[in-house]
Amino acid sequence: MTELVFYIIAVSLCAFAFLSVTVGDVFHSAVCLTFTLLSVAGVYFFLGAPFIGVIQILVYVGGIMTLFIFAIKLTAKIGDASIRQFTRQLWPGAALAGAILALLLAVIRANAWSLRLLPPVQGPDLKQLGVELLTRYLLPFEFISLLLLAALVGAIVIGKVKK
Amino acid sequence: MVNIAHFIPVFPFVAFWLNIIFGCRLGVACAYVSVGASAISAVLAVLVFMGLQAGGGSYVLTPWLSVNGHPISLGIIVDSLTVMMLLVVTIVGTLIQIYSIGYMGGDPRFTRYFAYISLFMSSMLGLVLVDNLFLLYIFWEGVGLCSCLLVAFWYEKPAAAAAGIKAFITTRVGDTGLLLGILLLMSVGHSLRFADMSVISAPEPLMVLAALLIFMGAVGKSAQFPLHVWLPDAMEGPTAVSALIHAATMVAAGVYLVARCYPLFTAHPLALQTVAVIGAISAVMAASIACFANDIKKVLAYSTISQLGLMMLGLGAGGYTGGTFHLMTHAFFKALLFLGAGSVIHAVHTQDIRAMGGLFNKMKVTSVTFIIGALALAGVAPLSGFWSKDEILTAVWQHGNLGLFIAAVTTSFLTAFYMTRLILLAFFGESRGAHKAHESPAVMTMPLVILAFFALFLGFAGSPWAHHAFQRFIAPEEGEVALDLGMAVASTVIACAGILTAFLLRGKFLGYKEGTCALIENKYYFDEIYDALFVKPFHRLAAAVARFDQVRVDGVVNGVSRCVQELAQASRSLQTGLVENYLLAQAGGVFVLIVVVTLVGKLCHIF
Amino acid sequence: MIPLGHFVILSAVLFCIGLFGVLTQRNAIRFLISVEIILNAANINLVACNRYLAPANAEGQVVSLFVIGVAAAASVVGLILIISVYRQRKSVFLDDFNLLKW
Repeated sequence: MTELVFYIIAVSLCAFAFLSVTVGDVFHSAVCLTFTLLSVAGVYFFLGAPFIGVIQILVYVGGIMTLFIFAIKLTAKIGDASIRQFTRQLWPGAALAGAILALLLAVIRANAWSLRLLPPVQGPDLKQLGVELLTRYLLPFEFISLLLLAALVGAIVIGKVKK
Repeated sequence: MVNIAHFIPVFPFVAFWLNIIFGCRLGVACAYVSVGASAISAVLAVLVFMGLQAGGGSYVLTPWLSVNGHPISLGIIVDSLTVMMLLVVTIVGTLIQIYSIGYMGGDPRFTRYFAYISLFMSSMLGLVLVDNLFLLYIFWEGVGLCSCLLVAFWYEKPAAAAAGIKAFITTRVGDTGLLLGILLLMSVGHSLRFADMSVISAPEPLMVLAALLIFMGAVGKSAQFPLHVWLPDAMEGPTAVSALIHAATMVAAGVYLVARCYPLFTAHPLALQTVAVIGAISAVMAASIACFANDIKKVLAYSTISQLGLMMLGLGAGGYTGGTFHLMTHAFFKALLFLGAGSVIHAVHTQDIRAMGGLFNKMKVTSVTFIIGALALAGVAPLSGFWSKDEILTAVWQHGNLGLFIAAVTTSFLTAFYMTRLILLAFFGESRGAHKAHESPAVMTMPLVILAFFALFLGFAGSPWAHHAFQRFIAPEEGEVALDLGMAVASTVIACAGILTAFLLRGKFLGYKEGTCALIENKYYFDEIYDALFVKPFHRLAAAVARFDQVRVDGVVNGVSRCVQELAQASRSLQTGLVENYLLAQAGGVFVLIVVVTLVGKLCHIF
Repeated sequence: MIPLGHFVILSAVLFCIGLFGVLTQRNAIRFLISVEIILNAANINLVACNRYLAPANAEGQVVSLFVIGVAAAASVVGLILIISVYRQRKSVFLDDFNLLKW
């Protein structure tokens, strides 16, 4: 039963992702991306990583998607479906992406680990994650906060309307 | 007391860095830094001199290198010769720096001048203190560098820049010899310490060769025949530099080197004989040129070559005390003469003695001190030059080679002659130039007076009245010395004869037509010969190489650059500026990479 | 039971969709959307491998958290750049911004 749910989520995830890069309207594309991100959060729950899933929803769906919508609304008159949305290299790009996909699938199929099933042990829990973040990964963790601060300040500086 | 000696060069060295780094801030005050540092060194030198009574010796600061198991250490030697040089260098150096405050006043590179002078003082003091040839060579190059920098100090003048290069390159010839000599001595004698000079045992021809190569360095530095050509040109530098470096101290370093390695020379008569002959040739040749020179500084420059030649002659004839004694007295009175000449040039703004005349009444202090210096140089009793020159003449006479003795006597005669001529032309007779001469400021005359005092009385250190204190100080092992009264009378007679001849010919100096004695007037054509032999062919070679470089080498380089340019021109249309094109290429690269990695993995799996 | 391969295949498909978007989108905002898809594909891979191959550790999850953080920063800066360029040139189309060529 859970497997069936997973496959449904996986298929819809791919469908939404594909739609978000193909639909004509940019706003629709952003909506599709929202569903894509939500589905990814669902995949995380299947992987026994509920914390990552929650963060995914909080940060991506709650934060980044809002930004995207804002940006789309601020850059008016471009969401019009009549404007060409693809570059001139649509078919070469598609072919290359397809070729890489085929290659990756072949590699995955050829390897035995792809058949590995869920191990009986429980995955890392929230406590372990927290301890790791604040001990072994403390320095990168703090760097991330520094990076976010820099991005914040940088965004304000760049976005300020110069008189 | 003796083992503070190694601090002596440190003070001028610190002064050099202070003046280089803070020169712009200090301004005129940098002169006081330099003078103060030299004065401290002088005081230390006096302390070392007094401490020497309790016994000298050498000591090692720290071991440094080891060549095939034979050590070369940072060692200091303190003996009578070193202390004599220390006193001469610090006292004369300090006085000349005081003089420079006045002489160089207002020069745009005033601070740099004093920085260079301090560096020179430091190198020169280091040179006389070290206890082996290897370290000596380092300081030897140091003084050579400072000499070049200071000769070309007014490098805006093309002549000064050329003179600096000439000084550097000509002495480099000698320095190469010295370096070869050091290497030879190290490889066959296994020691560079001066203290070991007398005990080194090696095949006779090699040791003679080593001694001659070392003497070659001395020839270059002391401007002896045939490497004397740089010294007259070096007079393009500031006169105070000429006094310090090119009269009193650095050029004497060659004589010092021979004196320092004296055991090496005395052990091999051929080497000693060469020293004497080269010295004799230099002495007579330079003295004869000085008789015809009209530039006041050139006269003194040739006189310096001549007197250095006399010192070499004295050393070569076995007169160790005579050579070193003359080195000391000469440093004082020649510095005095140069400073006096500087004072005159300062006043009349010309160096041509034919355009001077009648300066005696206008510049009393300069004139009187200059005449004292000239009389000391001429060897008139009882001034300092008399005693030291007499010592040399005695040594040459006892040596027994009549040719050398005639050379020494001729030099004495000519010295008296040209100095009298110089004084008659510059200070007496009618004033011939359109100049308003005036006495120099006290900061310049004061060193003159002090140096004149030394020129007057220093000689008594080697006189019977002081029981030959100098001789007993510098060479105590030589035993009792006595004044050769006959030689003293002869020496004075020769000097007086030179002076008298000059007085008799005084009317002819001005009306002298050039070309009468073309060989000597043109300095025996040395510059022309060297120009034709070395400079011109070298220029031609350089031009050929430059042409090859420009046509062939640059051709290749330009060809490569043109190829790259063409390629870039052809390929720049690849850069569309569209980010999607770049990304497509990047993704294609990733594709290829995955394929390659997979295939390689497969292949590795197979094999 | 779902084998690891299916998660990895999902990740690969998602990655290639994102790659396709990056290669073909003319609109800068949709370009950023495609980048987000690629990042999510990578994250799925990280978490899945963490769970299947090394369940005792938390490296995969930690790194995916970092990726989310960096992606947030990147999209903030990217979007603000787009807005700022839009103000000056009234366009968000990448092929209008080819000033850097030659």
